[in-house]
Amino acid sequence: MFSALQDVVRHRELLWILVGRNLKIRYKNSALGFFWSLLAPLFMIGIYTVFLKLMKFSMNLPMLVTGIIAWQFAAMSLGDSLHAIVGNANLVTKSAFPRIILPLSMVLANVVNFLLSCIVLIVYLVVERADLSHAAWFPVVLIVHVSLVTGVALLFSTANVFFRDTEHLVSMILLAWFFLTPVIYPDALVLENPAFPAAVQALFFANPMTGVITGYRMALLGWAGPGTAYLLLSVVASLSILLLGLFVFLCCQDRFGDEL
Amino acid sequence: MSAPAIRVEGVSKRFVLSGRGSRTLKSAAMDLVRFRGRGAAREFWALRDIAFEVSAGETLGIIGANGAGKSTLLSLLAGTRPPTTGRITTRGTISSLLELGAGFHPELTGRENVYLAGAVMGIPRRAMRERFDAIVAFAGIDQFIDQPVKHYSSGMYVRLGFAVAVEVNPDILLIDEVLAVGDIAFQRKCIEKMDEFRRRGKTMLIISHDLETIQSISDRILLLAGGRLTGLGKPETVVEQYRTTVRAEQAAAMRRDWGSGEVTISGVTVRNAKGAATDTFQQGDTIHVEIAFDAHQRVEDPVFGFAVSNQAGVKLYGNNTQIEGHHVATIDGKGSVRLALGPNTLGPGHYMLSFSTHSADHKVNFHRIDNGFPIVIEGDRPFEGCYMPVRWGA
Repeated sequence: MFSALQDVVRHRELLWILVGRNLKIRYKNSALGFFWSLLAPLFMIGIYTVFLKLMKFSMNLPMLVTGIIAWQFAAMSLGDSLHAIVGNANLVTKSAFPRIILPLSMVLANVVNFLLSCIVLIVYLVVERADLSHAAWFPVVLIVHVSLVTGVALLFSTANVFFRDTEHLVSMILLAWFFLTPVIYPDALVLENPAFPAAVQALFFANPMTGVITGYRMALLGWAGPGTAYLLLSVVASLSILLLGLFVFLCCQDRFGDEL
Repeated sequence: MSAPAIRVEGVSKRFVLSGRGSRTLKSAAMDLVRFRGRGAAREFWALRDIAFEVSAGETLGIIGANGAGKSTLLSLLAGTRPPTTGRITTRGTISSLLELGAGFHPELTGRENVYLAGAVMGIPRRAMRERFDAIVAFAGIDQFIDQPVKHYSSGMYVRLGFAVAVEVNPDILLIDEVLAVGDIAFQRKCIEKMDEFRRRGKTMLIISHDLETIQSISDRILLLAGGRLTGLGKPETVVEQYRTTVRAEQAAAMRRDWGSGEVTISGVTVRNAKGAATDTFQQGDTIHVEIAFDAHQRVEDPVFGFAVSNQAGVKLYGNNTQIEGHHVATIDGKGSVRLALGPNTLGPGHYMLSFSTHSADHKVNFHRIDNGFPIVIEGDRPFEGCYMPVRWGA
């Protein structure tokens, strides 16, 4: 596993070029290009603001928007990662290079996008006078988030080489995962619900996405919800998934050339 | 001799052919339920027990029929597939042209694709920038370099692919059937580039069906047949070996073999004047043939005959012992008859020999093998068919 990382370092130029390629292709033939990375979250915030007001939903908008932007990064990375190997079959079967660069480049391209969204988000939060005093935690949460997404992306990209059903399965998994994670609701909804025993609450945070999104809210909104006690559980789960993803990917990568 | 640049030891490659294109979860689950593992799939050995070495600076040509395993071998060397058994050791950087422009992305420009292709091969961007002009010049597409490659003609695409692969200056270059694409001018440029590459002491492995070219640029040639290494050595020798096999296979397809079976022709050996078995003769050479037979019962006054046909199977000349007044005594058991045919008066080209044995009254055909034995006549007087003395006048 260590030598695999060395390989990636040696081919880091390829990684950067592929990240650039993924970003470039996303905005090919569009007049505004990169600005869409900024416009999309801006429109999203605008639309939620208008509709929540019109519908008279009483919802904490900064909490909701933070959750959705963080979730979008994961969902888009995982959707892209399905095609990391399968969609680059011509590269995989015709050239030798560390295959792990392909899913990594998909995730990193989305990280770039996510960071641009975060700029919009933070500007919005400043306007909303959110409590940004814990913002120093943001990079830590980001690292856990990216580790988690990378781990799952490695699993999905590998699985899709061997079973093309993975594509269909993943959209179901993502939908379920979206509701199991406090994206559109606060973690307190589960943690302070007396109907759920303590074991369920621990399980809730064993879903590492829960910890990640709670972490972002802690960092960007000064959120001091009840979930902070469970954050470490999510960190451990994220890193375990990353290791599992690396392990599975590295074990299977030799067979990619034959399967494609 | 320097250390080998490539060492291949006991390499085999197995492919698993599944009935459908790719596996689905359902089929995997079904296999699991039926305890079959992947037993439902068929196996196919693309390569079997391949072992050879390539010295640094050597150019090795790889030839063989379609499906012999040439491309599979190159992909193992390039490292895009693992061998099922055996070991491959390589020394130095490898650039592979398994398919020209394989890694190009249609939406990116020529320039971006050059850097992408360089990065795939592990070449630093700085080094690629230095070579960039040479790449564009070689490909001859300077005015299109900032266009997306999806707008390129297939020729431009291929030229850029080749230019990148050779200009990245690897220690080992693997080339799969590049000479077959591009126009004549580009092919000539490729061959010049390969020559230059060779002079600089680089190692090359080239697959081609263009036997003349590969014979002229290779130091040695490796012949694959049905996934096995059947020849490795001097280009002329191995190319000739390959040509002989191909001719024999072609002949086998036209071969007809029938008869009542009292006498069977058990073997035919074709030799030159020195007594060496061959299938290649010069115009004017005498073709020496030994026809071995096996008489399963006593047969009186058998007749042995032969015919020479052209490649299309049209008989040009036929004769037999009876016409020539050579009386073969009663035969029983194994024996042989000899035939000296020549000096031959055939035009240069490919011919086939047929042999037969039948009863003196021509009523019983004991055994007849038509078109079973290919021969080649070489010469510089390209008349057609069989020569007859000619006198032209005004």
